[in-house]
Amino acid sequence: MTDLAPDVLGWLVAHREGTAVERFARAHARGVARYRELVPLERPAPGEQYAFDVDMDACTGCKSCVTACHTENGLDADETWRKVGLLHGGDARAPWQQPVTGSCHHCVDPACLAGCPVLAYEKDPDTGIVFHLDDQCIGCRYCTLTCPYDVPQWSPKRGIVRKCDMCRSRLAGGDAPACVAACPNEAIRIRVVAHDAVIADNEAGQFLPAAPDPSITQPTTAYTTARAIPRNALPADYYDVHAEAAHAPLVVMLVLTQLAVGTFALAPFAASGAGAMVAVALGFVALGASLFHLGRPHLAFRAVLGLRRSWLSREIVAFGGFAALASLAALAPDRALVAAASAAGALGVVASTMVYAATRRATWRADVVGLKFLGTTIVLGLATLDAIGAHASWLPRALAIALGVKLAFEASLLAHARDRHHGPWKRSAQLQLGRLRALTCARFATGAGAIAFALCGVPEAAVALALAGELCERALFFVAACAPRMPGALA
Amino acid sequence: MSRLSRIFRARTGPYTEELERARARAPAAPGSIVKSVCGFCSTGCGLEIDPHRKTIAPARDYPVNLGMACPKGWEALAPLGARDRATRPLLRKRGSLVPVSWDEAIETFVNRMRAVPAEARAFLSTGQITTEEMAYLGALAKFGMGMLHGDGNTRQCMATAVTAYKECFGFDAPPYTYADLEQSDVIVLWGSNLCVAHPILWQRICRNPHRPAIVVVDPRATETAMAATRHLAPKPKTDLVLAYAIARELIARGGIDRAYVDAHTSGFETFAKGVEPWTLARAATVTGVSEDDLRALVTLIAAGRRVSFWWTMGVNQSHEGVRTAQALIALALMTGNLGRPGTGANSITGQCNAMGSRLFSNTSSLYGGRDFANAAHRDEVAQILGVDPARIPTHAGRSYDRILDGVLTGDVRALWVIGTNPAHSWINQRALDDVYQRLDFLVVQDMYASTETARKADLVLPAAGWGEKDGTLINSERRIGRIRRACAPPGEARTDLAIFQAIAEAWGAGPMLRRWRTPDDVFAILKRLSKGRPCDFSGVEGDGVQWPCPTAPPIDRERRLFEDGVFFTPDGRARFVVDAPSPHPEPPTSRYPFVLNSGRGGVAQWHTQTRTSKSHVLRSLSPRAIYVELNPLDARRLQIAPGERVKIASRRGDVIARAFVTTRVQPGHLFVPMHFADANVLTVAAFDPHSRQPAYKASAVNLVRLDKFER
Repeated sequence: MTDLAPDVLGWLVAHREGTAVERFARAHARGVARYRELVPLERPAPGEQYAFDVDMDACTGCKSCVTACHTENGLDADETWRKVGLLHGGDARAPWQQPVTGSCHHCVDPACLAGCPVLAYEKDPDTGIVFHLDDQCIGCRYCTLTCPYDVPQWSPKRGIVRKCDMCRSRLAGGDAPACVAACPNEAIRIRVVAHDAVIADNEAGQFLPAAPDPSITQPTTAYTTARAIPRNALPADYYDVHAEAAHAPLVVMLVLTQLAVGTFALAPFAASGAGAMVAVALGFVALGASLFHLGRPHLAFRAVLGLRRSWLSREIVAFGGFAALASLAALAPDRALVAAASAAGALGVVASTMVYAATRRATWRADVVGLKFLGTTIVLGLATLDAIGAHASWLPRALAIALGVKLAFEASLLAHARDRHHGPWKRSAQLQLGRLRALTCARFATGAGAIAFALCGVPEAAVALALAGELCERALFFVAACAPRMPGALA
Repeated sequence: MSRLSRIFRARTGPYTEELERARARAPAAPGSIVKSVCGFCSTGCGLEIDPHRKTIAPARDYPVNLGMACPKGWEALAPLGARDRATRPLLRKRGSLVPVSWDEAIETFVNRMRAVPAEARAFLSTGQITTEEMAYLGALAKFGMGMLHGDGNTRQCMATAVTAYKECFGFDAPPYTYADLEQSDVIVLWGSNLCVAHPILWQRICRNPHRPAIVVVDPRATETAMAATRHLAPKPKTDLVLAYAIARELIARGGIDRAYVDAHTSGFETFAKGVEPWTLARAATVTGVSEDDLRALVTLIAAGRRVSFWWTMGVNQSHEGVRTAQALIALALMTGNLGRPGTGANSITGQCNAMGSRLFSNTSSLYGGRDFANAAHRDEVAQILGVDPARIPTHAGRSYDRILDGVLTGDVRALWVIGTNPAHSWINQRALDDVYQRLDFLVVQDMYASTETARKADLVLPAAGWGEKDGTLINSERRIGRIRRACAPPGEARTDLAIFQAIAEAWGAGPMLRRWRTPDDVFAILKRLSKGRPCDFSGVEGDGVQWPCPTAPPIDRERRLFEDGVFFTPDGRARFVVDAPSPHPEPPTSRYPFVLNSGRGGVAQWHTQTRTSKSHVLRSLSPRAIYVELNPLDARRLQIAPGERVKIASRRGDVIARAFVTTRVQPGHLFVPMHFADANVLTVAAFDPHSRQPAYKASAVNLVRLDKFER
């Protein structure tokens, strides 16, 4: 040491402290660990769970939470598990806007979990975190329909959905979830909440203005603010009308299963022997189509697991039963067998109805879906029987009446375009009369054509047009469903 | 059995493991993390790049961002992998750009540049490349190639602050450190939407333990205005009157620090006389801010013990931006709010290296904030660099706007555009169409061949981007940050430094620049150029040090300027500057009744979106197309429905945009985000006369519903 020149010694002493950056790091060690305050130290007691707590007064809409979640979870380039929307309102004197960050609300009654046909969702009994078993998922995407908050994200590359699990593994290790740790303003925390309190708050409509009805799933995220929210607060994308995914295989599956059931069940009344055969053949086409919808069709057998709680499982089992029984009945006509197959088919159509009604989407109310699906069953059953030469003179008239009633019913829903309130019915009607006008026109033109051809005695053309018309109707059923969603940003 | 049960019930498997792998925090290999600072805005956040996993994490130990980053920082790697990266030089042959070899590209560059006289060549550079690169360019272009005219896109954002500081402080020296945001008891954000433009600086305000009063002065009810404790919404471009009225009232109330004014400033009496006409009543009429609100702000400033004034583009991009900035400096000086923790008249810079450009681009000032017109300065630089003093121009050359004017008059015939996109970003865009037609030779050096400007080029030189090269950037608080190479540039793209060097060799300027081989070599030269200047950083070792830093090792304290009350002016005193407010260059008329403001739309978009549009995530966080904010009262009057497409008409051109009906803007005002190219079809080519900075934020326009066919 003594050999060193004094200036070198001085330099070393000064550098013992490290670089400016290192010194700074030490000085701010407390600051770095600050997010320990943002996650609870205690585990939830029975009847409690972890929940996101968003301090809206601190959130300035920087969206770092979205990108941090994206990076820390290694999400695909175009995949995000968190979204930031915007509410705005007030007037020129007191303008108001409020960003809204949201991901999974880890609901008390998660609809994703209730509907999953393969039991890929679980709610952790200790933490209440709703998580998804990625390897259990068959990619049916039903959860993307049942979740009112658009949380499960479809990953086409993997053929499954994925979602936020509150960074469960990080939380278990005492670390904060990515979004919590990355918020520069400490606007997101994890809190322990009691289920009773969540339900009571949601009962009072305290969740978030213009958000989906919290009574459906009991979301646990608490959005808090000390400021008064103006009475006219609305999402920035409130007047946008979003088209939903088309789900073409489901369109085909629904229409053809209903055709098959209708044809099979009505065949005895029309004294048609061939009807059963045609019905069975098309029924199998329908089931094949439904496989195309799955991200991982080779695991479709897992769908039986959810029979006790998922209408989707019930639909699959009912149509499976219909296919089996109807095949037998077609090979060996037996009255009991025909009755059983018809009953299974009818159960399948009921289950189909409930699959959509269970999502609680306004435009998928049970009576509306039920009427549409029953209508399709009858219309396509009659049209098919007429076309394959069933000897019943009443068929064309019955078809014209059934299809006429169905068209009138569908048209009556379009009148909602004139509603003053921008609710889902108005949006759906706007979409069908606006961006989807071509499809809507096709739907009514084919329907009218089918009636005309049926009455003029060209049953082959009638059935083709009727089928095309029902496919159009079902495509509109999906695309113009107008799902509820969290307040969105300017698109 | 377990295998069978797994087939039915797979609780784990490849997808579950994939997610857990992504979440595992340990880096792939120790020491593989590349520490860098962000290459978007001037906040200068520390980022840690994992080159193997291709991820970024904000640095927890960097004094700027404390483990946080905005979305652009998190996604900074995404733009590098874009499909439309320029990977080979492109030369226009028979009307279309075709790939050529670097040899042909450089030869073409030299021959066609030489084909026009030296005084007809110009370059437009950027605040987005490293200090070393811009310094090299300055030496090559001005001393090597004999160019007289060169400017940067920093003219669009910072020229006003530069001019204001130079006149008031004697040097372009933003005096603050970010810690001041944590130490103020009154924070005045003037024309600054900090939450959107500099979110990590807002974070520093959130960490302020003194429960500060936060006042936002902005015609729009921005995100920051919502988060502030007080919002004043003056009519657009009435800022100078507002500031003068506050100054007058402070003087009238005796709310000034006479001792500070006497000891450290000059020109106060003239200033006081200059602001005398601006009574609160008169200012209230001009600005639309009520007398009560003005009085309350004056009370806050007078009562505050540590008051800081911060400004951004709302001040800089104005027809009288320099005088407005100087009025804010005057407010700080007269109340003694300078040189102490939590105080200052503080311009927050825009681009990641605007501050490097201000000191070392060798454009409007000679290296190290020197003056081209000063013979002693020229000699100093010539001696340090070992160049012939006769090669150093005796004036700064044309500013950005005058370079473009020069093209129209035929005085400028060859233009070299580096890392900027004037065809999108320059004011009064349509007038520029002619500029590109008239040029003999347009070279664009950029990461992408797809920018609006590159598509018009005769020659495109493919450049490496942030993350693909080494060098330094200087942030708003004068902190010198390192960027480091974490991955290789694609194809034949080269760092800007390497491109400049290739051109230097081909031009014959190689010998003069032989000592400028690596970024480290250039930084060593810059340290020598800074020695003895106010920006002296000759003592810098390692990263993340603020200038001044004249001796090694760096002194361990925040580097706030003027703590001793001595300024860089010849007499050591800060100057008060006052001027008569001037009329708005394009006031609204009955035909064009709206005032159009423009600016940053969201956190996820950067400038012309050249880079941010390449990230899926950033795209998903921002609107897809141009929109216009208008007040619900105007929407109702004009029967415009929310989301409807509308036409914005100006004297320069029309633009179709989606209507965003919102109380963010006042009745009679409109706002368009600058990130969409159409915005500058509308902007009027008005400039601050002192800084030549474009006044983007106030143009007279009309808003009309589209007729049936247009809709």
